[in-house]
Amino acid sequence: MIRVVNWGVAGSVVDAGHAGRAWMGQSRGGAVDLASLFLANRLVGNPEALAGIESSGGLTVFFEEPTMVAIAGAVADVRVVDGPPVGWGNPTVVPSGSTLRIGRLVDGARVYIAVRGGVSAEPDALVVGADPLTPAASQPAARAALPSSLRIWPGPRLDWAADDTWSQLLGGTFTVTETSRVGVRLTGPLLRRARLDELPSEGMVEGAVQLPPDGSPIIMLADHPTTGGYPVIAVLDPAAIPAAAQAAVGVRLRFSR
Amino acid sequence: MKLLPFGPRAVLAEFGSLAEVMAHSNAWRAAQLPGAVEVVPAARTVLVVHDGSLPADALFPVAEGTTVAEVAPRMVTIDVRYDGADLAEVAERCGLSVSDVVELHSEAEYTVAFCGFMPGFAYLVGLPPALHLPRRETPRTRVPAGSVAIAAEFASVYPRQSPGGWHLLGTTDVELWHDDAEPPALLTPGTTVRFRSR
Repeated sequence: MIRVVNWGVAGSVVDAGHAGRAWMGQSRGGAVDLASLFLANRLVGNPEALAGIESSGGLTVFFEEPTMVAIAGAVADVRVVDGPPVGWGNPTVVPSGSTLRIGRLVDGARVYIAVRGGVSAEPDALVVGADPLTPAASQPAARAALPSSLRIWPGPRLDWAADDTWSQLLGGTFTVTETSRVGVRLTGPLLRRARLDELPSEGMVEGAVQLPPDGSPIIMLADHPTTGGYPVIAVLDPAAIPAAAQAAVGVRLRFSR
Repeated sequence: MKLLPFGPRAVLAEFGSLAEVMAHSNAWRAAQLPGAVEVVPAARTVLVVHDGSLPADALFPVAEGTTVAEVAPRMVTIDVRYDGADLAEVAERCGLSVSDVVELHSEAEYTVAFCGFMPGFAYLVGLPPALHLPRRETPRTRVPAGSVAIAAEFASVYPRQSPGGWHLLGTTDVELWHDDAEPPALLTPGTTVRFRSR
């Protein structure tokens, strides 16, 4: 059993979410940076889609039994009281009675903590699942720097934006002003709409880049509404979604073909 | 039908009417297109999300043979207490009596066109034109779960408490979303719905 002493910022138990429910109004949900949840699970020897913990900092958990954990995603200030240090990407057994605290995030927006066996959420405790009987990683993972250039494809409503929009997207530098499980809001070269009339709501995907009338684009993430009424001018390549999910406020991003 | 690009793992099909949207989305869902992950109908479009293996022209053979009545619809009846906060105002703005509004709303047969806004929130078509009203000028910050509501050409039921700008006609105790059920939504696109006054 793991006691959550403090959920901190945007702390929750996440798995891979549900694909296939968008037609009923539910988006995938689950880990916003799926690649990092998968990595953390592989490190502790779990099937990669098992539930783990997502946190944007300030999380404190207390271990009531010896538990193997691994941390991936953002680089954070991680402290363990009454146990060994837990480094990024390095599966570690923390003893019964130890406390792990995720402090400030140094690089990235979301930390993932996998627990060998996975966790299921109870009201004030996390129950650790059965041992997967597969070996944990014998080597720590190496952390790749987050790419600052995200590959994009033209979106279905690029023609709702001004003619220079595609070149503005590819040539400009954009700064993250807000990030949540729903999406990332950017500011940069002002993108102008060619049409201001209302688009009937249409289906969205993770990585869709919407252009609201104020000209500041929004990249959709795991909890995006299943339909939306702002024109989608570009779509992130699926491989670039984890980088968008890890783009913290203030980070500068570029787009490429 | 016009196909619009949506990155390497999705395609957006645009149609001239909601009826075409409903026919195509039902047909594509029933066809279980290989590699398709999501088929998402909306007001004038159907979004098909796939695993990267579905070529856009795979949609055409199904589209050619599509008619509206291909999928046998599910039928759902929802019991309603017509006690909504906007019932009197709707009656007045439509030039009807409250009992006319209740009768029109509960005697029509509806079809779920698409879902959105929140899990399990269904946009039902079939609302009699006499009840078509634009949504409220000022949305409410709290609409209770189970509120039976109308706006423009659509009827719906709020699956859980949320902000909302639709006109509230009544209340139901029916559970619209159950996470452990398959499917979790009571009202999936294509479902036939009737409201019954309690």
